[in-house]
This record gives sequence, C-alpha cells and structure tokens, in this order.
Amino acid sequence: MSYALTAPLPTRIRVLLPVAVLVIATVLWEIAVRSTRSQGLMPMPSGIALSGFELTRSGVILEAMAGSLQRVAIGFVIGALIGIPLGLAVGTLRPLERSLRPVLDGLRSIAPIAWIPMAILWLGVRGNAALFVVSYAATFPFLVSASQAVRLVDPRLIDAARALGASRWDLLRAVLVPSTLPMLFTGARIALAFAWGSIIAAELAIGIKIAGQGRNVAGIGQLMVETLYVKRDVDALVFYMLAIGIVSLAIDAGLRHLQRRVLPWDRQ
Amino acid sequence: MTITRIMRFVEPLIGVVGVVLLWMLVARLAANATLVPPPAVVWQAFVAMLDGDLPRDILASLAHLGVGYGLGVATGLALALAAGSSRWLEAVLDPLAEFLRPISPIAWIPIAILMFGVGRLVPIYLIFYASLFPIFVSTLDGIRHVNRNLVNAAQSLGASRSTVLVHVIVPAVLPSIVAGARLSLGVAWMALVAGEIVGGDSGIGWRILWYQEFFQMDRVMAAILIVGALGLAADSVLRSLQRALSRVNPSLASGA
Amino acid sequence: MSALLELRHVGKTYTSARTGDSVEALADIDLALRNGEFLAVVGPSGCGKSTLLSLVAGFAEPTSGEVLFEGARVIAPSPARGVIFQDYALFPWRTVHGNVVFGPWARGVPQATRDERARELIAMVGLAGFEHRYPHELSGGMRQRCALARMLANDPKLWLMDEPLAAVDLQTRIILQDELLRLWGDEPSVANRPTVMFVTHGIDEAVLLADRVLVLGRRPGRIKALVEVTLPRPRAALRTSPEVARLVEQVWNLIRDEAAQAIVEETH
Repeated sequence: MSYALTAPLPTRIRVLLPVAVLVIATVLWEIAVRSTRSQGLMPMPSGIALSGFELTRSGVILEAMAGSLQRVAIGFVIGALIGIPLGLAVGTLRPLERSLRPVLDGLRSIAPIAWIPMAILWLGVRGNAALFVVSYAATFPFLVSASQAVRLVDPRLIDAARALGASRWDLLRAVLVPSTLPMLFTGARIALAFAWGSIIAAELAIGIKIAGQGRNVAGIGQLMVETLYVKRDVDALVFYMLAIGIVSLAIDAGLRHLQRRVLPWDRQ
Repeated sequence: MTITRIMRFVEPLIGVVGVVLLWMLVARLAANATLVPPPAVVWQAFVAMLDGDLPRDILASLAHLGVGYGLGVATGLALALAAGSSRWLEAVLDPLAEFLRPISPIAWIPIAILMFGVGRLVPIYLIFYASLFPIFVSTLDGIRHVNRNLVNAAQSLGASRSTVLVHVIVPAVLPSIVAGARLSLGVAWMALVAGEIVGGDSGIGWRILWYQEFFQMDRVMAAILIVGALGLAADSVLRSLQRALSRVNPSLASGA
Repeated sequence: MSALLELRHVGKTYTSARTGDSVEALADIDLALRNGEFLAVVGPSGCGKSTLLSLVAGFAEPTSGEVLFEGARVIAPSPARGVIFQDYALFPWRTVHGNVVFGPWARGVPQATRDERARELIAMVGLAGFEHRYPHELSGGMRQRCALARMLANDPKLWLMDEPLAAVDLQTRIILQDELLRLWGDEPSVANRPTVMFVTHGIDEAVLLADRVLVLGRRPGRIKALVEVTLPRPRAALRTSPEVARLVEQVWNLIRDEAAQAIVEETH
C-alpha cells in the first residue's frame, strides 16, 4: 500500500497506459460481441463508429444537437437573468436571505425534471416545456453563486478602495464586479452543466410521451427515444451517449478557457 | 426574548407564508384548478395521498435510493482506495473517470431501458452510476492531498506502516469522504427522479407521471413538493451526520 | 567527544517524475554533530535547509554520501530522532493529550505509563488544563508546545526542528525561545542533554540559541561556513548583547547577496 507515499508515474506512462488499456478493451469488446453473434442486441465498437459516421454525415445528429443546444442557451440566459439579480439581492440583504432561505432551499431541492408534467400542461410539448425545465435548472447555480460571491467579497478590499478615494460608483465597478466575477463564472459553468443534463432529461421524458406520434424531433433526447422505441438501434444509442459527453466536455472546456481569458488574475 | 431573536424566528416563516399567498393569488387569477391547483386543494390532495399510495411510493423511492446510492458510494470508495494505493491503478482509473464523468447519467437512460427494461433497475442503475463519481473524485483527491507531514510525524513517532494507514491516513481522508458522500447524495437524488420518471415503474417520481395521465394536477403538484421535501430531508440528514461525526473528529467540521 | 550524527559527503538531487528536470538541492555536506550540541542551520531561501533535515530525519535518502546516526545508516524515521515541523503537523482529530500520547501508544507502552508521562509533559510545556482541547482550538504558540510535548514523549536523543517558530508572532517567539532553551538545558555544561538541529530563517535566533551555526549557500546547498558561537550559557539574557549583534552581522554578510537573489527568483 503506498498511499500518498510514492511519486507520480512519469508522464509518458500516465498518458500511454490508459490509451493502451482503452485500445485493448475496445478490441476485446468487439471480439466478444462478434463471437457471441450479439450484433444488434449489444452495442459494438465498429457498429458505434459506423452509426456515428452515418448519423453525422446525414446531419441527423447535428440537427438534433442544434435543437437541444438552442434551448440550453436560451434556458441558460433565462436562468442567469433570474438567478443573478435574485442571488445578489439575497446576498446583500440579510433579512431577505433569512426569510427566503427555506423557500429557496425547498425549490432548489426539487429535481428540475419533476416539473415536466406541470410544464407540459402550462407550455405544451413543442419545446417550451423543456425550456422551462432547463431554465429552472440553470437558475439555482446562478442564485447560489451570486449570493455567495457577494457575501464573500473581502471587506478589506472595499476599505482599501475607499481609503484610495473611490466613489460609490467606482466601488461598484472596480471592486465589487471584479471580486464577484470568478464565483459567478464558476456558477455559470455549473448552471450550463445542469442545463445540459436537464434538457436531455426533459426531452427524454417528453419524447417518451409522444413516441411514435411521428412528430418532428426537436432535440437529442427525443432522437434517442425514437431510436430506442422505433428503430431499436443500440449502436446509435451509444454513439448519442458519447456525443452528449463530448458536447459536455466541449462546453465546459470552452467556458473554462473563456474564464481564464476574462479573469486572468483568478487562480483556478 | 429580544426583538432580534423574535425576528430571526419569524423571518423564515414570513418568506414561506408570502410565497404561499402569492401562489393563492396566482391560482385565483388563473381560476382553473387543473392549470394552477391552489394551495388548499394541493394540501387536500396530499392528505388523500397519505392515506393511499404515498407511503408505498416514498418507500419504493427510498429503496431505489438506498440500493443505488449504497452500491455507488461503496464502489466509488473502493475504487478510490485502490487508485490511492497504486499509482498504476490510478493511471488507468483516473482518466476513465474523467472520460465517463461528462456523460451525464441521464444520457444512460435509453441504454438502461434497453438493458433492464422499464422498471426498478433503471433508476437504481442511474443512481449507482451518478453516485460513483463525486465520491471517487473527492476521496482520491483527499488521499493525494494528505498532509505529508502528518505521515512523516507519525513515522518519526514510531508508528508502523499499518498504524500510519489506519490511524493517520484514514482519519485524514475522512473529511473528503464525507464531502464526497454528500455530493453523491445530491446527484443521486436527481438521478432518482429522472430515472423513475423516464424509465421507472414505481416510486414517487414515476407516480408524478401517473397522476398526470389522469390529469390529477393537484396530486402532481403535491408529489412535486414532496420530492423537494424529501431531497431537502436527505441532505439535512447527511449534514447532521457530518456534524455529529465532527464532534468526534473535528477535522470533519465544514462551513455548511 | 563522539559524534551522534555524521554526514559524509551527502548530496541530494530531486528529479521531477513529471518533467524529468532535476534540481540539486544539496551537495558536499560534511558534518559531525557533537553530543549535546545545539546546531542552527541558516541560509537564503532555496538553500536546502529543510532537505537537510529531511535526510537526517529519514524521510528521504541522500542521492550520494551517507547519513550516520550513532554509527548506523539512516534509512527510515525513528523515535530517537524527533521532529518538529513548521506547520506543527498535529493530528487534528486527536486532542492535545491524544497527540502527546501518540508516540508511546504506537510503540506499545502500557496505558497507565503513557498517560502519566503525557500529563507530565503537558504540564512541563505549560499546557496543563488543555489536555482535552483539539488543535484547532489552540493558538499557534500552544500548538507548537503541543508538538514539542509530543516529540518529547519519545525521549529522542536528537531533536530536529524545521523552522518551528516561523509561524508565530514575535512576542510569542521570544517566549517560546526561552522555553525551548529551558527544556533543552541551557546551562554551561550538561551531560546527557539532547542534541538539537534547528533550521531557521532568523539569524538572530540562530546565534542566540546555538553552539554552532551552519551557514548554507544556495543552488546547490553547500556549506558556506560553520560559525562557532562562543557566548556563555545561559543565553536567554543575552538577547540584546553587542556580541550577538556582531555575530548576526557576520553571518548575514555571508548570505546577504544570495538572499536578495532568492527574492527575485522565488516567483511562481
């Protein structure tokens, strides 16, 4: 047992080992599925790759992703528009925080997808129900991070600025905004991750409700349901999963990159 | 009691009451009990549910949570300990975790339905998968960041390898484990609801859709609020547990 | 007089597993500690003082040369070589008593004996009444006293102290210096008193406390000088004597330039 007592492995091994394991595992997987003749029943690497290629070429997956991402973007913005001001208010005014705390904690604990039935009733199935769920999911990370960011502003920075002769407007612009931005950015990243997860869940739920009704596929979730119940294409399903993961990574990486550029002083 | 202490007690109530009043107002304006069930109607629905399926549904959900979360945390912990004890294992497991983590558990639902069919196993599998990552990442991080000087100090004081492991490393990693367990519970809860709604056949999440099929929106609303309450309760339980443990082991005390 | 501790041509090079770069921390260290001696180690940042202590403690092995304690090679930590760390390294989940008792407990000393010894030591370092407090409830000075008691519980022949007073304020530091001298045996000549290797940034502290001051240079850490401090003991009253000031000036002149360089080069 070495627990924290040994040095990390050289970089070359750290990179090559998982790659090697991955390659071997993929090959074994392919062999296993082929030798048991379970193509079509179980996903297999070659099938996944072929499906993926076909779906990308035909634009099916890109269209669906675009639909989902569109709603994620809108929901993200709505979440920010509601969550940030509310969070700032709650963070600044202690009495407000104390009175709203139980309500906000309660609402935050409701998994966004639980709202689907009400959302469908209120907003219809066409896409706004999913948007509601996504906006709901995105609001709370913004709310929490905004209220924390305000509360954690270092009072000494404010004192220092005032001692240097800053006016109220200066304080807001030059001290409060930069101080709260890092936390807000992190909150934004979490909100985006939540939003992405929620849109898929919402689309899956809606998709299951309307499966087989021949409606237009609005997003990746509905596409997956259609593939599950109508086409029964296992390989495509796994490809969709991987695509979802890749998009998650890309979105987060993009935001992280943006964060580093906009906030170079923030040691993340 | 001073004014401040009274206010401290009353303020949260004001918030709750205020929201309920707002709700009543909206319901009154909408004038459609199916579209916007008023609070009173929802309360009645809740009482009726208590007498009916609610206890069974909650139990079913808790069972799903218990099995999925229990297995997930145990597996995540075991994998983290394994990765912590061997740099080679870590070199394989860590990238694997990084690769799988962005694939939201939700994305697994269709495959899970395909593998297990619609039923209890879908939410359980989802919860299991979702709970794995936070505890794994947190524990491994804790192990890697054990203050080297604590281990050095123990060795200089004459502790054997096993004493160091059991009496220094484990207590030092415990805060990370507890933090990871709390994070895991949070995502487990979300996975539970999503799994039951989309691919389950029992539990409170599934029941929400059931009521919706019959347009019993008052019950739907009640069920939604119950989901929130249960989620809150689960986190409170873990928080109290954390507080109790930190009395024995102060390094467990956190800001929350 | 026999040497309790000998370093013969000791060198230590660290190689980063990640990048393959190597840093020569120490080179050509030849040193013999006399029994009952108080040796201070000073030098600019990056001169390898802490590395030296690590090697003597047994936390790391030299890349060249050998470290001999009582004639035998040092390959692992041992209770005979007690260590005090700059960040105290107290076990946060154990009380003061729990920490002090750790050494004897780990070595299998029976409960009654070790509890008695712990009580004695806790009183001796001035922490009576705080046995059941946790480290986070103690001030920096008290934590260091606890660390001291913990080390003393094993009756080590060699005390290794790594900048033990760096993290406390100046007033506390003066008090702790006096206490350290008292516990060690600050008298003209004492048989059987422990040998001390004391790493510090404070040259005034080094000159005041020690019989000899080892001055290291940086990059790599080599012995620049071994200064004899011929001041009489007890030293506590000599803090402000001109003789001390003269010695401090002498040592400082040896490292002044390198210290200035270190400030610029130690950026992150």
